[in-house]
Amino acid sequence: MGSIFTSDTEFRSLMDQVFTLMSEDPDMGPRLRAANVPQRFAFEDLGLVVNVRPGYEWESENLVWEWTDDVDWEPRVWMTMTSEIANRYFQGKENIAMAIARRRISTSGDVKAALALIPITKPVFALYRRVLQAGHEHLLA
Amino acid sequence: MTEPPAISLAEAARRAGIKPATLRRWVDSGVVPRPQDGRWTPASVSYARVVARLRKRGHTLDQLRDASAQGRLAFGYIEDLLPTAHSDYTLEQAAKETGLEPALIERIYSTIGFNSQALRQISDDDLQFLRYCAAGLAAGFPLVAFLQMSRVYGQALAQIADAEVRLFHLYVHEPLMRDGVPGLEMAEEMEGLARELLPLASPLMDHVHRRFLQHFVEQDVIGHLETDAMGEPLDLGRLRVAIAFADLAGYTRLTEEEGEEEAVSAVERFVENVEYTLPEDARVIKTIGDEVMVVGGDPAALTDWAVGFQMLMTERPLPRIGVHYGETLYRDGDYYGREVNLAARVAARSAGGEVIVTRPVVEQSGSHLEFDLIGEVRLKGFKEPTELFLARLADDD
Repeated sequence: MGSIFTSDTEFRSLMDQVFTLMSEDPDMGPRLRAANVPQRFAFEDLGLVVNVRPGYEWESENLVWEWTDDVDWEPRVWMTMTSEIANRYFQGKENIAMAIARRRISTSGDVKAALALIPITKPVFALYRRVLQAGHEHLLA
Repeated sequence: MTEPPAISLAEAARRAGIKPATLRRWVDSGVVPRPQDGRWTPASVSYARVVARLRKRGHTLDQLRDASAQGRLAFGYIEDLLPTAHSDYTLEQAAKETGLEPALIERIYSTIGFNSQALRQISDDDLQFLRYCAAGLAAGFPLVAFLQMSRVYGQALAQIADAEVRLFHLYVHEPLMRDGVPGLEMAEEMEGLARELLPLASPLMDHVHRRFLQHFVEQDVIGHLETDAMGEPLDLGRLRVAIAFADLAGYTRLTEEEGEEEAVSAVERFVENVEYTLPEDARVIKTIGDEVMVVGGDPAALTDWAVGFQMLMTERPLPRIGVHYGETLYRDGDYYGREVNLAARVAARSAGGEVIVTRPVVEQSGSHLEFDLIGEVRLKGFKEPTELFLARLADDD
């Protein structure tokens, strides 16, 4: 499969932690919710898709995500990358503009809206690295 | 916070540099707010001093009364939080104390941007500042570099101080004025806020400076390695860099159609987006209106950024970007020379959504990009034509 992750399960578990970190962070969570940019991430090497949206008014979570395309909302932004690039991206090691030019990430939809999320999500880089340092050192970029 | 000791009218007048009778008259005529319970406070004394200063500058009492009623004189209190410059040393004494030649002290002052009056008011703090300068030079930092650094410090810190005062004025003073808060109350409120904020400025700046210093030291190490690898030494003070100019196509039209506020917001979003997405070794050197000048060490990375950035910018006004790679003169924290001018001209030839580059950029760039030759173009101000290329993602095969 060529992924740097030991299994699909490891990848999904870590991405779940990334979204949880963003959702539960007192700064990032409310700002991401307010930004209201549902995103669809496709990890082509693993054949996985995750759809992320802001929590609805009646939901306590700032972010809600499902590992399927069978969701009842439409993403505003589509991003496709490999699991390795996703791992680098969430560590702040993949510059989005350069990654697009180097065909490591492809985007479509309301890309401008996605751009507005960059400064909001920056704190997750350090948090994700901390997660990796606790048992997933092979993934540190 | 302990209450400041009460000050008599005579003492207040003395501190303001006027006669007690004058101060009493100003209070009676409403030029200076009447102190509560007749107790003069440092804030109310400052108010009187501001009025005294404006009187000396020729403002009439009527003008001052109006300004006072509108709360426009209240800002003057804050200067009391800053140490007053005493003339403790002459230039010659300062030179003797620090070991710096008087002419060099004059040059340092002028380079930093202090006015000529500052040389006649050299205080203990100024002397300490000059000792630091002397220590820097004694440590072996070349004078030519030291003076450039002084100019950068002066310009950057003047901009910071100016922004601090303007932002305080716009977001604290003006709202208080709009709310009709009485002059003295407004002054005391602002003084309280400024008293809490001022001590935070130096540690904040020190931290930010250290963080940036760490970043640029790392970049310098990388730059050295890569320059050494290229084996082409440059003259002293010259750097080979990638230069990008980017602006918003149709900005003038946008301003006309949407108004200044919307146009300025568009520029702010554009500059922020540039800053958020730049490669690690590149940074915004300056912005001029809607134009941004970016410099980086790696032409391939900067071109990748430019092409990727255009793909992220999908709505009007679209950016126009030009990238060039060449030898520049590094002076006072900025980049100068023919190649910088050329880069600006290249950007001016691009249309919204385009990235136009020169041959040196093409030669350094990766195979994931394609470069369509536009042709040899005579750019404004250049005798020789320049080969220009349109950069884009390589077609999928």
